[in-house]
Amino acid sequence: MTGVTLRNVRKQFGSLQTIHGVSFDVEPGEFVVFVGPSGCGKSTLLRMIAGLEDISGGEIGIGGRVVNEVEPADRGTAMVFQTYALYPHMTVAENLSFGLRMNKNPQADTERRVAEAARILQIEPLLTRKPKALSGGQRQRVAIGRAIVREPQVFLFDEPLSNLDAELRVQMRVEISRLHSELGATMIYVTHDQTEAMTMADRIVVLRAGRIEQIGAPLELYDNPANQFVAGFIGSPRMNFFAAESQGGGRFRLPQQGGAEIALSLTSPPAPGAMAVVGVRPEHFVEAGAGACDLSLTVDVAEHLGATSYLYANTKAGEPVVAQRAAAREASAGDRISVAIPSDRALAFAADGARIY
Amino acid sequence: MTRSGSRRFRQILLHAVLGPLALLWILPLWIMVVFATMPSNAIFSPNLNLIPGDRFMENFRELQAATGFTRTLLVSIVVATVSTALSVMLTSMAGWALVRYRFKGRAMVIALIFGTMTLPYFVVVIPQFIMVARDFGLSNTWFALIVPPLFNSLGVLFMRQSFSMMPHELFDAAQVEGVKEWQIFTRIALPLAKPTLAALSIILFLASWNNYLWPLLISNQPEMMTAPVALGTLIGFTRVSWGAIMAGAVLMTLPMIVVFIYLQRFFMSGITAGAVK
Amino acid sequence: MRRKTGTAYGFLSPYLLVFAIFWIWPIFYSFWLSFLNTRQPPYTFRPDMTWGRLFQDAAFLNAMKNTFIVLLVQVPLMIALATLMAVLLNSRLLKARGLMRFAFFAPVVVGEVAYAAVFRLMFTAERGVVNKTLESIGLPQVDWFSNPTAAMAVLMMAVTWRWAGYNAILILSGLQSIPDDVYEAATLDRVSPVRQFFHITLPLLKPVILFCIILSIIGTMQLFSEPFLITNRGGPAGATETLGLFLYRQGFTSLNFGYASAIAYTIAAIAVAIAGLNLLFGREKA
Repeated sequence: MTGVTLRNVRKQFGSLQTIHGVSFDVEPGEFVVFVGPSGCGKSTLLRMIAGLEDISGGEIGIGGRVVNEVEPADRGTAMVFQTYALYPHMTVAENLSFGLRMNKNPQADTERRVAEAARILQIEPLLTRKPKALSGGQRQRVAIGRAIVREPQVFLFDEPLSNLDAELRVQMRVEISRLHSELGATMIYVTHDQTEAMTMADRIVVLRAGRIEQIGAPLELYDNPANQFVAGFIGSPRMNFFAAESQGGGRFRLPQQGGAEIALSLTSPPAPGAMAVVGVRPEHFVEAGAGACDLSLTVDVAEHLGATSYLYANTKAGEPVVAQRAAAREASAGDRISVAIPSDRALAFAADGARIY
Repeated sequence: MTRSGSRRFRQILLHAVLGPLALLWILPLWIMVVFATMPSNAIFSPNLNLIPGDRFMENFRELQAATGFTRTLLVSIVVATVSTALSVMLTSMAGWALVRYRFKGRAMVIALIFGTMTLPYFVVVIPQFIMVARDFGLSNTWFALIVPPLFNSLGVLFMRQSFSMMPHELFDAAQVEGVKEWQIFTRIALPLAKPTLAALSIILFLASWNNYLWPLLISNQPEMMTAPVALGTLIGFTRVSWGAIMAGAVLMTLPMIVVFIYLQRFFMSGITAGAVK
Repeated sequence: MRRKTGTAYGFLSPYLLVFAIFWIWPIFYSFWLSFLNTRQPPYTFRPDMTWGRLFQDAAFLNAMKNTFIVLLVQVPLMIALATLMAVLLNSRLLKARGLMRFAFFAPVVVGEVAYAAVFRLMFTAERGVVNKTLESIGLPQVDWFSNPTAAMAVLMMAVTWRWAGYNAILILSGLQSIPDDVYEAATLDRVSPVRQFFHITLPLLKPVILFCIILSIIGTMQLFSEPFLITNRGGPAGATETLGLFLYRQGFTSLNFGYASAIAYTIAAIAVAIAGLNLLFGREKA
């Protein structure tokens, strides 16, 4: 079993630095997801691990061996691409075996590996077809199969599900998770979709602008985001943020909410007068009167999903707020409702975005 | 006028202009065929005759006796085939290097290749001639007929365009699988570039088949003459009849017309390739 | 893209080798030659016998004049004709499109020698096809290859026949890249088809037409086979001698390489200058 270590990894295109000294370890057998908005450097980082991009500085190690100068094929990794990158002029079987054949792998072993991969992914009936005769989901399976036949120690996935429709995406998510437990290999997975990250990862690495914002298990990031960016990025719909002013002792005044005050239990509260941000997830609002501070909202759009309802509303000052209310099945646009900020679930952030504990 | 009435009028006008023009345009080719199949005295008979005759073989025999035309056709076929194959190979390799790799001197190579693209051939033909005919003494050789005209920027431009339109993840995927660069080129890039290769091959073959100036300079012995050069030696002299010359023109032209009819699509993309920017 | 200088040059080297030997080196060599007296060995530095002679040489000035006549008369006519062909061939009302396209595009595959032979035969003065036709409709016959103007006309007709379809293919591809909805929108705005042509089609075709003009200029500057074969070495008496043919005679008949190189560079300079002017002119108005 093989882990991956990154030590102060940097990427530079001319004078433009896109990865700013990233360090962390992926444990052997772990499923790690890189997540972040587009342009955050997550794909570049993955391609650097694969060997498709030069490493401008720092070290990448796979299985304890520094691989900076190792050819991509010799790193013990396999990669699944966003566009699947299936060779259009080859059948599925040829696609699966191409790399092995080109490297003069014994034919019997190649056949065994192709059969095994086809079995695992249930694509045996497709082996003689060309990629253009496959559906999106089938192509995705073949692309994964092509990685499996290499029997890699580390799988690299570059946004593999983003070209699939919503239903297939859910299905493939489950399959990749199943594959992870079946093969037990280390997997690094890049996505911009925080739902994929939350549902699949053992640990999530949140990236922004070439820097790590936070690393942690999904629920850890959800419950304990290290900063306002992670708090906003993880969780859907995203967290609501309210401008606040510290009154000292963990008390905050919300100037846009008619000066309502809220008290949070913080270990190191900011000094009085400091500007801050209070964050509340849509699902954490409580009944008016039951929390630290009431908000009166005007519903703009109400989405009723059955099990729950999302209310897209505005405060009196016109700030957009999303609230998830299981009991609001009757709410419709124009309704006025009141919800309360729960003092035990609300988070506080400093003006620079850092979490206030 | 009603809608369909004006449409009808425009359609008639369109054909009234284009139809006669098309007939006029096809006339020289038709005359070529007609006169190639007529005895020479019939060509210059007082009345105009545009119905093909049955004397092609007689005309061809006269041509063959004067020039050994089948031999010159064979030389043309060999030269065009070999130079097309070589040129396609060289230009596709060069095009691939420009798409796939970042390397020192890349900008300079690109500037050199495409900067000389519109340079008139006359600027290089004199030194080419001095080098090949005088310095190397290689007149009337396969090397002289095939190698100097190999260079063409169009092929590089064309192949580069084709490769750069392929998803680069295909090459990355192969690279991750440990496929050698040469194999990525021959097993993935080239097979996917087949339509472009076909178009390029046709254009290069045609250019070589019809090439006149260079073979004229470099081959003057009958057994190493290409068909255009051999036919050119007959024009303006009275050694052979016009019927025989037309027979030669037909033999040079007809195969290309057939290829054109069957592979028109590739012709069109080959011709327009240089124009897309 | 991978950073691999070695592999890159591995792929490039066969091509660059041919390129260097048969293009780069000759470009410099012929420039050097253009200053040498090459009449007899050893070659000596005598620019007065090449560049100095050029503009005093009546034969050169005659070839230049003839080439410019072709540039000014044949090129515009051919481009206009090619545009007409392309626009008409692109019409949705056209029947027998395949046959029509064949008629105009087939000359593209015909070799210089073959079509030169046909044109020479067609325009034969004594009972040639053209003169017989003129006679049958009551027009006077023309002694095509003895009359300087007529010979020039034959030359231009031949070149037009051979290359109009080629340019039409380029223009047609430009036409087909204009989206239909532009015309649909114009039709809804009650813009007549004729005005659509002048206000939509032509402006959008301008880049490709400019490209055709530049190609034709470069081609005309190198016109050689047609005057060599059709009008019998630029006859009558040099009336159809072009710069290309003049260079051929100096370089490969008289074997005066230095003078021929000076002519070659003059041809290149004129081609580049005219093409550049065209680009500049085209850009400004675009």
